[in-house]
Parts: sequence; structure tokens; C-alpha cells
Amino acid sequence: MEVVIQRDSFPQLLEKLNRYNIWLPRKNGDYWEFKLSRGKESLDKKYTNTKLSPKKFVLPQTETLFQITEGENGKFNIDEKQKKDSLDIVFGIRPCDGVALSHLDKVFLNSFKDPYYSKKRDNTVFIGLACETPPFENCSCTTMGESPFSTKGLDILLKDIGDRYIVEYITDKGKKLFSGFPNLFGKITTKDKESLEKIKKESNKKIKKRVEDLSETTKKLDIMFDSDLWFHESQSCINCGICTYLCPSCHCFDINDEQLSKKPLNVKRVRTWDNCQFPIFTMHSSGHNPRPDKQSRYRRRIYHKFSYFYKTEGEHLCTGCGRCSNYCPAGINIFETLQKVAEYE
Amino acid sequence: MNENPYFPNLALITSIRDEVGGDRAIKTFQTRFVNGNNFTFKSGQCAMLSVFGKGEAMISISNSPFTKDFLQFSILKSGRVTSALHNMENGSIIGVRGPYGNSFPMEKWKGRNLIFIGGGIGLAPLWSVLKTALVNKKDYGDLMLIYGARTSKDIVFKDELYDLRSEMTVHLSIDKDESGWNEFVGFVPENVKSKVSWPQNSIAIICGPPIMIKFVISTLAELGFEDEQIYTTVENKMKCGIGKCGRCSIGEHYVCTEGPVYSWAELKKLPQEY
Repeated sequence: MEVVIQRDSFPQLLEKLNRYNIWLPRKNGDYWEFKLSRGKESLDKKYTNTKLSPKKFVLPQTETLFQITEGENGKFNIDEKQKKDSLDIVFGIRPCDGVALSHLDKVFLNSFKDPYYSKKRDNTVFIGLACETPPFENCSCTTMGESPFSTKGLDILLKDIGDRYIVEYITDKGKKLFSGFPNLFGKITTKDKESLEKIKKESNKKIKKRVEDLSETTKKLDIMFDSDLWFHESQSCINCGICTYLCPSCHCFDINDEQLSKKPLNVKRVRTWDNCQFPIFTMHSSGHNPRPDKQSRYRRRIYHKFSYFYKTEGEHLCTGCGRCSNYCPAGINIFETLQKVAEYE
Repeated sequence: MNENPYFPNLALITSIRDEVGGDRAIKTFQTRFVNGNNFTFKSGQCAMLSVFGKGEAMISISNSPFTKDFLQFSILKSGRVTSALHNMENGSIIGVRGPYGNSFPMEKWKGRNLIFIGGGIGLAPLWSVLKTALVNKKDYGDLMLIYGARTSKDIVFKDELYDLRSEMTVHLSIDKDESGWNEFVGFVPENVKSKVSWPQNSIAIICGPPIMIKFVISTLAELGFEDEQIYTTVENKMKCGIGKCGRCSIGEHYVCTEGPVYSWAELKKLPQEY
């Protein structure tokens, strides 16, 4: 279902929602990040996409799973109550990052449902903002079979058509959020739809599709495991891991104990983002390492995204957002690797 | 059981036995849950043990599921958590969650000879399946254990191994000769070569360091074992146990959910990253 809201009415909408935590993209130096709203604000027309992906709203970089405290007579109490129950509303999620949320759903809401992810997912409304122009040079959602107007993983998608937004409700949660203030929303007109179609067409054209048929291309990975491509592609890697930290779909994590006091013992069990590009990620305590070198780790990253996840979940674990390639200090570009796979004979 | 898959159940250490001393010390722990019965499990499955303040480590359960009053873990002092476990005492509380992973297909093996091949601490996961086979001895053909350690001091379950000889064939080995050692000297694959002569109707179950597993598999292949006759367990580093944290992955498999037990026919199809 689609309605429209005037761009001028947007600050009023934020005001009506002010009992919730509202997050908006805001510029910080040379990058954008999600920040709590200061009240009556508009979405900045110059907004591109955030440097850190919105995965932090459902998979924080660090989160406490539970706290373990020692009581009398050596008894232990484990407090697993999750404190946060309030609703977070995040505006300005780019459609690629919405697609990433649908990937994370597949990982965390499967047969072993993750209660921490699940609760945050339920308590967050993700409001997308379609891209009328690609935010970055390395954007390539179309390579992944998606588009700058994809709705996957989102609750609402806003489409900027100049002086107004077309509001598309995707989930009931999204629809319910705005249902209290019908005065702010109007019916969509034929003219609105026409402008949208025009913008959509233009936008799709502006995005460089880097590989024509990704699923066909990645079938080649089945026979490329021992190729020297992985050696060459990974040579400049410095194992910094920024590719996976910035990736909206990467979800590997570590679990560790943080000791707050020794006697009586008070411990936080903490989950943090982890990184398949670090040697220690897979290293056994014996020192044996199943993926001991850069080439096996880089290959793992590419295969997980384009072969393994595709085989088990039917989707590529990449949204084409381009962050890994924009920010890699060694200049490694995931799309260039994919093009080399496409050309492999 | 708690619905939160990360929630450790409190368990009491009821017994600690020294198996091996020195730098590569091994101890065998028995635990029981503080609140309620131990979980039920199958041979081959693992449990995530917590030492609060130190973290978690995935350890294979070494007793048979037929023994219900405790869970047993034989643990090599190796990393942060296992070292902390080695410092614990009878009556200490740890966390236990699980069981995780698949199990040995013992039903499928009925009527077959079983050859257990272990190295070092690799006898621990084998011990559960071996003990279960002994309980149902009439279901299987001949049973044989080939087990090797670096030195005679590194052999685990010494007393039980002695008793075991009355129930099945046991061949031991150590890497270098020692005075008073009357059994095989050399690596496990060589001992396999000298003792195994009947691939027909047999199943080989291997557990040990990754390098030993690789060499034993090629030895068995030379002896005429088919890929489907060879089973092993893969023990990659794990954190979550439920197929999410990513580090135990081999290809599209997560060892914690689809492993740790693989036939060589299955494992050889995956990237050799273990």
C-alpha cells in the first residue's frame, strides 16, 4: 500500500513519533552515521549512505548476553534479562542495507533462533529511503539482482519524488507505526506514480552492473577453489578486517567473558563482531590453523558470500553496497574479483 | 532447559582424574547438572563448557549415553578455558550447554567390524562410541582399538585400556622407543598398516590431530577401505555451537551443526579446511 507525505511535513512526523528513539543519518566529517534525532528535522537531501551499516541495530558491535554473579556458598546466578524494551525507528536505510537485514534474518531466525537478535528485530522499525542516484561509485545492487527500490528486510520504504515522499508500507509493523496520524498522509496520484517511474528508470540506469549474470558466474567457483586467483587477489590484504566490519551482511561473531570483579566473581558474557580475515579466527589452541594464510581467508570470504550461502539460502550474501571496496586501505575491490571470476576459463 | 541457546546450565564437577601430567596435561572431569537431570546425547556429540570469567570451549563428551548419572569430558590443557578447567577442583561449578552436533551412525554399522583408531586426546571422543559399541557388542562383528600417543606417559585412560583387552583387541603405540615398551613404536598410520588386514565388512573410526587423520585415511585407502567405510570427527574452533558465529565452517557446512562426525565420502567433497 502506498501513500504520500509532503517533504515539509516530515519534521511534524518526527515530532509525533518522539516517544520512540528516532535515528536519522547525519554527517560527521566526511562520512554519514545514524544518530538520535534532535527533534524537528528533515532528511538531508545530500545524504548518501552511512559508513557503518545499520546491522548494529540488530547485531551491535558489542552486546552483553548475560551477567553471571557469584552468590553465597559458591552459588551462581545468571541474569539473562534483556533490558531494552523500547522501540527504535531508523530512517534512511538504503535498500541494499534492507536486503542485508533479510540475510541476517536467515542466519539468526532459523532453527536455532537467536533471542537477542530476534528481540531487537521486533523492537526496531526500519524505514528505507530509495536511491534516486547511487550514493557511491562502487554501488552495484543490480549486480546482486536487487534494485535501488528493493523493499526486502524493510518495514517502510520512502521514495523521494522531489517535494514529497511516496510511502510504501511493507510490513504490518510499518503500517501500524504511521496509522495514528492520517492527516499527515495523502493519497498517491497518477502524477506521483509517473514521476516515480521516471526516477526509478533513471536510477537503475545510473548504477553500474558489474557482472551480467552473477548466479551463472559464481557457478564457476565450484571449479576455482585451487585457482591461483585467490593468491593474487589477496596479496595486498593487510588483514585489517574493515571489509567485514563495514559489511551489512557479515555476521560472524565472538563470545568472551569480561570479568568485572574477581571476588565475588562478577562476569559479563559478551558477544562482539568477529572477522574471518583474522588468522586467529579459526586457529585451534594447538596452533593448527585450517585457514592459515591470506589467500585461504580471502577465498573463504568470497566463497561464503557467493557460493556457500547461495547453496544453503538461495541468495548471495552481498548486497552490492560497495563499502568493503570503498574503504579497503589496500584497494581490494570485491566487484573486480567477481569480474575476474566471470572471465576465468 | 532454557530456551536461550547461549544459556549455560550450571553443573557441578563431581570427579577429576589426572590422566597425563606435564605441559600437555590431560584430566578427565565428570559433571552433573545442579538443577535437574543431565541432557540426553548421542555418541559423537559435544558440549560447550564455561569457566565463568574465562569463557567457553567446545569439548566432546567421552562417556557413553548409557551412563546417565554424569557427563564425562577428557580435556587437554591447551588454551585459556582448558587451562582454567585444569585449575578447578571437585565441587567447583562450571557451565554446560548442548549437546551439539551430529553423532556416529551406530545403527547403520550393525553387523560390521569396528576399528577405532585414535591419537593423543583423540581417544576421548572415540571412547563414547567405543563404550556404546561394547554395551551392544552382539550387534557388531570384531572390535579393535589402535591407539597411539607421543610417549607412554601421554596415554590416556591407562587403567581402562588395560581392562579393555579382555573385551576387544587393543594395539598401542608410542612415537619413540622407551625401555620396557613391548608394543608398537612409530606413528599411528604405520601401526594401522601393520595391524589392519581386513577391510571387508569393516568400519574405521578415526579421531586425533588433523595431520594424523589425513595420514590414517590415506593408509586405509591403500588397504582397500572404501570412502564410506571411514569415519572421522572434525574438531574446528567453535564459539556459538549453533551455526552462526562462522569459525567452524568447512565450505557450506558448520561443523557444530552438520558435524563433527563425517564419513570420508562426505568430508572429501568439502574444502580441506580443517
